[in-house]
Amino acid sequence: MTTYTVLDESELEDGDRIVTEIKGREIAVFKLDGEYYAYLNWCAHQGGPCSEGNVTGTYEAYYNEETGETSLEWERENEILNCPWHGWEYDITSGLCLSRKTVRLPSYPVSVVDGGIQITL
Amino acid sequence: MAVQNKRQGPLSAHTVVDTDLHLRIPLDDLAKYMDEPHRSIVENPTFTPVDRTGWNRYMGKKITKNELPDADAVQEHVCGEFQVDYPLINAFPVLASVPEDDRAVHMMRAYNDYMLDNYLDKYDHFLGLASIATQKPDEAAEEIDRISTEKQIVGVYLLTSTGTHPPLGDPKYDPIYKAVQDNNLHVAFHGSAGAPFAKDFPLQNSHFNRFLPTHILSHPWEMMLTMTSLLVEGVPVKFQDINFTFLEAGISWVPYMMFRWNKDYSMRRTEAPLLEKSPEEYIRDQFYFASQPVGEPNDPEDLKRIIDIMGTNRLMLATDYPHWDFDHPDALDKHIRQFYDEEERAKILSGNAIEAFDLDI
Repeated sequence: MTTYTVLDESELEDGDRIVTEIKGREIAVFKLDGEYYAYLNWCAHQGGPCSEGNVTGTYEAYYNEETGETSLEWERENEILNCPWHGWEYDITSGLCLSRKTVRLPSYPVSVVDGGIQITL
Repeated sequence: MAVQNKRQGPLSAHTVVDTDLHLRIPLDDLAKYMDEPHRSIVENPTFTPVDRTGWNRYMGKKITKNELPDADAVQEHVCGEFQVDYPLINAFPVLASVPEDDRAVHMMRAYNDYMLDNYLDKYDHFLGLASIATQKPDEAAEEIDRISTEKQIVGVYLLTSTGTHPPLGDPKYDPIYKAVQDNNLHVAFHGSAGAPFAKDFPLQNSHFNRFLPTHILSHPWEMMLTMTSLLVEGVPVKFQDINFTFLEAGISWVPYMMFRWNKDYSMRRTEAPLLEKSPEEYIRDQFYFASQPVGEPNDPEDLKRIIDIMGTNRLMLATDYPHWDFDHPDALDKHIRQFYDEEERAKILSGNAIEAFDLDI
């Protein structure tokens, strides 16, 4: 296990991300609501650069059995990563794929030490 | 359990359910079950009658036209010759082609009463699918409430999404599915290569000058349209107690749809937002498929490969008798005997139908 400092804390705004390369692996670091997340930049679908895609919200639908009505809600703005190749959706806070419950982006521990954002491989 | 006194043969030791058996009720006879003014219209159809239309199925005299004109004929040909214990009968109406929605509703009730009086009431081991007109969903729901009191009615019969507008997953039809679920029934879809298909696929119908290509394409296209509409609208999510059976399109199209749906769903999940698991899982959990027409690959093992992909717990025997393209039960069973053990064979011959329609047999 080796720890790599990838950038200074002040260089990453909340809601933003950077993609870096460590030991031949492209890894993206996200900052969201003060938390850091690091994922492999490799979509589980066809290997697209998922971490370079747009960050958006997503639609969720809810069926009310009592009323028979279906409501459509736009939720989780800025929390959903969309692979730019085909639109596979990932939850930035967990790495989970929204359409395939068994798929999760490989993740790496992130820590901040002396103002530096560190990733452990 | 197997019905007594069935003819001896490969199926005599098994309980057999035939999930797709058709009536052709003469309009004059049907009219007797209707009130005026609908009775006179049905007796003297001058606009879009609901009988078969268009293509000649029999190529002159090359194929003999069969009928099941009464309950005894079902008993003799289907239960006797085909060794079927429980025929699951549908009246085979084409109610989606009826332009007057109130007439469609009256015909729906007449078809169901006719089938009960003349078939189901004659033999206790006959089962039925209630015909449903989709033009007025609330009245269809009332009919489902009424007809579900008949214990031999185990499901409803919906003409697939050709001629039925909008397609059958549309929330417009939720009252129908709610009534089905509330009455502990299930749903069977059936296509048509006749008038409804010509209505929605006019180019396909007019650009081929033989029935062969029309027939090849009609049933799978209609089933693909129906399955797609159900999934994109989340019908199996909204009505989780309903099983959905697809009749008369065979099975080879099913793996294609499973995998194509999976692929597109993951790329465009937000456009089918009610789904909570992969489309393939809904197909494997709530959808069943009748065998007829059994595909005829040059290498019979290819059929086994298709069944293996789909799973032996999704497949149900169907003959489609007495239609021109019916399958004798052995068309499927000869493959099942060759490739599967007796336990799996029993599921295909009756066990899956018992599950799909919650049959008390």
